[in-house]
Amino acid sequence: MSINGISPKVLTQHIGAVGVRTGIRRFVNIGRQLNFYYFWEKRWFFIALLVGAALLNMDTPESLSREGLIVLTMSVVATILFVTEPVPLPTVALMIVVGQVLLLGLESTAVAKSLMTDSVLFIMGSLMLAVAVVKQKLDKRIAWLIVRMTGTKTSNICFGISAVSGILASFVGEHTVAAMMLPVGITLITLTSDDPKKVRNLAAVLLFSISYGCSVAGIGTPSGGARNAIMIGYWKEFFYDPGNPDTYKFLIDYVTWMAYAYPMFLLQLPLVTVILLVTFRPEYRDLRRAVVKLRTEVEVQGPLKPSDWVAILIFALILAGWITISADIGMGTIAIIGAIGFLVAGLVRWEDVNSGVNWGVVLLYGAAISLGVQMKNTGAAEWVASNFMSLLTPMGMDHGIGLWAAVSVLTTAVTNTMSNGAAVAVLGPIVLKLATVAGESPIILGFITAVSSAFAYLTVVGTPACTIVYASGYLKTTDFLKVGWKMCIMSIIVMLTAAYLYWPLIGN
Amino acid sequence: METNDDIRRELEEQHEARLQRFRILVCIDGDDECYRGLKYALRMGGTRADCDIILLYVRPIDQGLASGGLQVRVARENLLNWGIELPGIRYLKKGLSMLIEDDSDWVSETAHSDVQGDPLGDNKIEYRHPSGRTIVLKLKTAPDAASGILDQYELGPYNLIIVGSGSSGRSRLMSALAPSTAEKIALHAPCSVFVARELVAGHGHLVCVDGTPKAMDAAKEEAIIAARFPDPKLSAICVAPDDSMVAEAEGIVGTLDKALKDELNFDLKATYVRVGDPVEQIVEAGKDYSAIVLGGSTKSTLQRMVSSSIPLDVVRKAPNSVMIIR
Repeated sequence: MSINGISPKVLTQHIGAVGVRTGIRRFVNIGRQLNFYYFWEKRWFFIALLVGAALLNMDTPESLSREGLIVLTMSVVATILFVTEPVPLPTVALMIVVGQVLLLGLESTAVAKSLMTDSVLFIMGSLMLAVAVVKQKLDKRIAWLIVRMTGTKTSNICFGISAVSGILASFVGEHTVAAMMLPVGITLITLTSDDPKKVRNLAAVLLFSISYGCSVAGIGTPSGGARNAIMIGYWKEFFYDPGNPDTYKFLIDYVTWMAYAYPMFLLQLPLVTVILLVTFRPEYRDLRRAVVKLRTEVEVQGPLKPSDWVAILIFALILAGWITISADIGMGTIAIIGAIGFLVAGLVRWEDVNSGVNWGVVLLYGAAISLGVQMKNTGAAEWVASNFMSLLTPMGMDHGIGLWAAVSVLTTAVTNTMSNGAAVAVLGPIVLKLATVAGESPIILGFITAVSSAFAYLTVVGTPACTIVYASGYLKTTDFLKVGWKMCIMSIIVMLTAAYLYWPLIGN
Repeated sequence: METNDDIRRELEEQHEARLQRFRILVCIDGDDECYRGLKYALRMGGTRADCDIILLYVRPIDQGLASGGLQVRVARENLLNWGIELPGIRYLKKGLSMLIEDDSDWVSETAHSDVQGDPLGDNKIEYRHPSGRTIVLKLKTAPDAASGILDQYELGPYNLIIVGSGSSGRSRLMSALAPSTAEKIALHAPCSVFVARELVAGHGHLVCVDGTPKAMDAAKEEAIIAARFPDPKLSAICVAPDDSMVAEAEGIVGTLDKALKDELNFDLKATYVRVGDPVEQIVEAGKDYSAIVLGGSTKSTLQRMVSSSIPLDVVRKAPNSVMIIR
């Protein structure tokens, strides 16, 4: 009783009861299929299009060019779609490409070329490296390393997890480490107690140690997250002029970025553990039982294999490359070389890379940066910046720390509603022009935007590490709110302190 | 070899067979509320031979952007490598253990279909009892929980969808902007929906009637469902907009009482008439019952979306469970 080996029961699942209708009933059924649920689910898409149409038919403001209005409209529509996600986000990228050709009248090839830059290459390479690193299965050893250093006290283990996750995440990207460390956290939880209710707070502390450890680290180096690469790309696009040596300072390389941002990460690390332990008081103060069981699991694996050493070596070489020669050949190139290394050494299969990387992200960031550059070219960014400025001036926030705080709060608000890469891509051009209008350093305001975009502690979708850790099912969305606001305030204070006291020292 | 017609016929027969049974879809999200809903489904005659219970867990497909471009599947595969179960499976197993204590009589059958972007895909385990009872565990991927649940309706007609809801007292604006899963289901599902909230069994149901034939049919339907409980307790309420309508409202509940007695041999526990705003009065009168029961509104889906409807307002405002009969 089967066709092509598929039993009718299985078919029912696919076709469903609806598929069995014949004759005229089939057509009656079309009426039923035309449900309003589709339009209801996609309502934000249509609202965004209507807003776009309304903006385009508006009279162009005096100081804004027609092209500027078009680009601004595209940004507004894209932002609505980024926040509400009625369609898969890569669709927005495709719409940006089409919009540039049809609405702005740019040449198709020129638009296509603007999609790929070193920043985008870097994001793509880093994602491939991320999959390769996760596939090396070094997580158990890292876990064992952590508990060997920290002992069995819960608070120490939490700090150990944050610190090690953080240090790794600052180089290999927060999503990579979150994916690697998630099983470690869950194993420690389940080995302590099988009943999730008895370990709710412990679970929260351990899992948030991973996600927030990774999040605060993501700002540490350019390879910590895509947003950093996007900001580096903007600085170059907006201010770098090969003929003018004064603008060379806008080429931020790996080491310069670390000099600005790494100390902030180190400063935040112990504060993360304190905030977590105060907010969620874990039920168990000592995890001896779990640690002993974890140890036996690791011992079964035996010593590090040659292939593990090769993987570690390749990564060390990539890191050395980023630090030493990325200014000459581009950070993207080095990330790609690293991916080639892992593939050639046979440490990761292309199929794994292919299914583990969401290529839509590469497309999306490419398109978002390309739109950001158009924001600059058409003068739209400057127009928004000067209007925003006239809003801030009466409040006395048009310069110095007031302006920094305004930008930081704005970015934090935006990044909590959409993915942080998208937040930087949308806000970057405006903030950099704001710096020019206000006579502030574009580098400092750029850093404030890129760093603040990591303060998405309030929502599950805010940062990659939070999203991944949430997938474990141990956390509730309300947990993020409960602890997130404390983290936001802590991070903003740490950053403003750094911007005020520390950054001027390196700038000169 | 079988022809397409054979398969079609077989599917049609299966569809017909399912229509003869009382099928309850319980949406499991790991929260306590959904397990209380499941226990309620059991009380609702879930252990009888004519009842099928389907446990559904919907895992949202991740679009990969929130996770920074690294697919969440990489993390999930890593979890599986460590021998850790993914959350949906854990939740479904807990539900199953509440339904089946001794599994020696049950025969199970597993089906699986791949879904791009998820290491587990869609999975289904069907447990059959010689008496004819079926329990299905279903792990499904969908863009979001509500679409997954509504999609599932298309696959097998259900008599009732039970869904847990944590929030109450939401404003109309809030639920228009960011409807909760339970609200979406209540709005769109073609069958009856039970929104479980602070569910305490044994306090009976309060059915609301307004004199329309549709509400009367819903009340009869509810009486049939209530009769499935071990100790059926059903009261009825009719809200009059002002004092001049009180006599008419009393007539409506009286008619219902008589109709249930004559047609179904079912006795109402009590009947009430209240005066005032229907939503407020229903919520106020119904708060001590296990659930408030209302007929679905006669409006089309589109009308329901743009204008208010009493059942949905009650779902939003009531502090306890609400059932909408369709």
